[in-house]
Amino acid sequence: MSEEKVIVANKGLVRAEFNFWVGRYMDKFYDGLENKKIVGNKCPKCGDVFVPPRKICGKCNVVIPFDNNWVDLPDIGTLVNYTITSYKVNDRSDRKAKPQIIGMVRIDGSNTGIIYRILDIDSSEVKTGIKVKIEWNDQTKGDPSDIKGFVKV
Amino acid sequence: MEKVGIVGYNQVKLYSDANYGRYEMIFEAVRGAIDNAGLKKKDITTVISCTNDYYDGRTISNCFTVEVGGGYLADESKVEMDGAHGVLYGLMRILSGNHKLAVVWGGSMASCFPYHTARLYETDPTWERPNAYVNDITAAGFQMRAYMEKYGVSAEDIAKIAVKNRKNASKNPLALEEAQNSNITVKDVLESDIYAAPVTELMVAQPCDGVAALLLAPEKHALKITDKPVWITGVGWNQDPYYLGDRDLSGSKSMELAGKMAFNAAGIKNPKDEIQVAELFEAYAHEELIFSEALGLAEKGKGADLSSEIDGKLPINPSGGAIGGNPPCATGLIRIIEAVKQLRGEAGKYQVKDVKKAVASGQIGMCAQNNILYVLEGGA
Repeated sequence: MSEEKVIVANKGLVRAEFNFWVGRYMDKFYDGLENKKIVGNKCPKCGDVFVPPRKICGKCNVVIPFDNNWVDLPDIGTLVNYTITSYKVNDRSDRKAKPQIIGMVRIDGSNTGIIYRILDIDSSEVKTGIKVKIEWNDQTKGDPSDIKGFVKV
Repeated sequence: MEKVGIVGYNQVKLYSDANYGRYEMIFEAVRGAIDNAGLKKKDITTVISCTNDYYDGRTISNCFTVEVGGGYLADESKVEMDGAHGVLYGLMRILSGNHKLAVVWGGSMASCFPYHTARLYETDPTWERPNAYVNDITAAGFQMRAYMEKYGVSAEDIAKIAVKNRKNASKNPLALEEAQNSNITVKDVLESDIYAAPVTELMVAQPCDGVAALLLAPEKHALKITDKPVWITGVGWNQDPYYLGDRDLSGSKSMELAGKMAFNAAGIKNPKDEIQVAELFEAYAHEELIFSEALGLAEKGKGADLSSEIDGKLPINPSGGAIGGNPPCATGLIRIIEAVKQLRGEAGKYQVKDVKKAVASGQIGMCAQNNILYVLEGGA
């Protein structure tokens, strides 16, 4: 049946790209990345430290003021979770030559996890609880790609 | 809670690549539900549609479903979540006292677009999206690992759920053909294509094409329409935080709270002894275990010990669940329909014996960020 199907695809007819402003808090975070530094912020009420920083602590439902509450954090953390996939996350019709390890890392001194690739490690060696460190790109731009990934300490 | 009755339902056969358009599919589901209940278009007083603009490939996508969804020059509005959330809106419309018959329909055609890729659009565009490491599949990889590691649950235990649901689906004529397999083994599941380790292909509820519809009416009116109404006696809903890194993915806090709210409304004190069947929207095999534990049907980490086959102590997903076919925006609605079939004795080869009370759940978001649970009871 499917051979007889007429398919109309929406290709190249519309181009409407979004340009999201990241906001003041993420601006400061991305400035940090450009200098190969991790900056988080701390909720004045519950004390949770967020990476990346946030304007609002959802749990306490309060604004974390911009003028203080900043915390400088190391580029080291703990691998709290991971998954391994050969599929490209943004295009599942395509596979990578080598499976990539995608890890959730809790930066030391923070209470949240961030998600990046784990590099230069054999998949049999990966386990939760290991210490990992950021591998920075040589040329930083002040955006998420400044962090190439994490490597085992 | 005032009694609201489910007075009709209809679901189209699920296909991975249907050879007819969504326009016809929606009409088939909605018109079928109305016809089956012996009603007419003019009896509908409100229509709730449940679709997703990204999945439909157009904005305000309910604008093109007016005619086929029963909303022609009528009161219609849309819920952009799971079909089970559409039912919540329909329930509220009925409880407002202004409506005699609500049509709730939901669904989409996953064959038209790369579903898992589109899920990347759920991530934060100012942070996670540019990296493209998170979609529903990789998120499920995190969720399954978190659950396994916290409680020492094996991949075999999780594969058994996929086996059970795929075997159950083989008894369900409306299930997705690709999901129906009466001979499947745990080995087949574990050795299927690795999607995002430890999640394998056969543990995934495959997104597919399908639409379902449900009819709701206030008690008095429901009794005029059918002698087999099913009553919504409890509903609860709740949501977890947005960022995956903020959540404890080994459990489901939102389902736990949704369950408490629904059981409280229905006066259920001990769910595992008081309900006879559960239809839970498990987007991945491990979620069935996480949800049954969150709902108190099993102790934490012990979901795999449940006797949940069709003839078991507490059957879960006798229809095959979402693993039996997962048409985005319809799947939770289908869980409700399946629970209704069980209560009305209309579940055919997967009918559970003596069902008086049932639960059905819906979900939306990464790792089931938002959950909703219904308690349903039969009898006029």
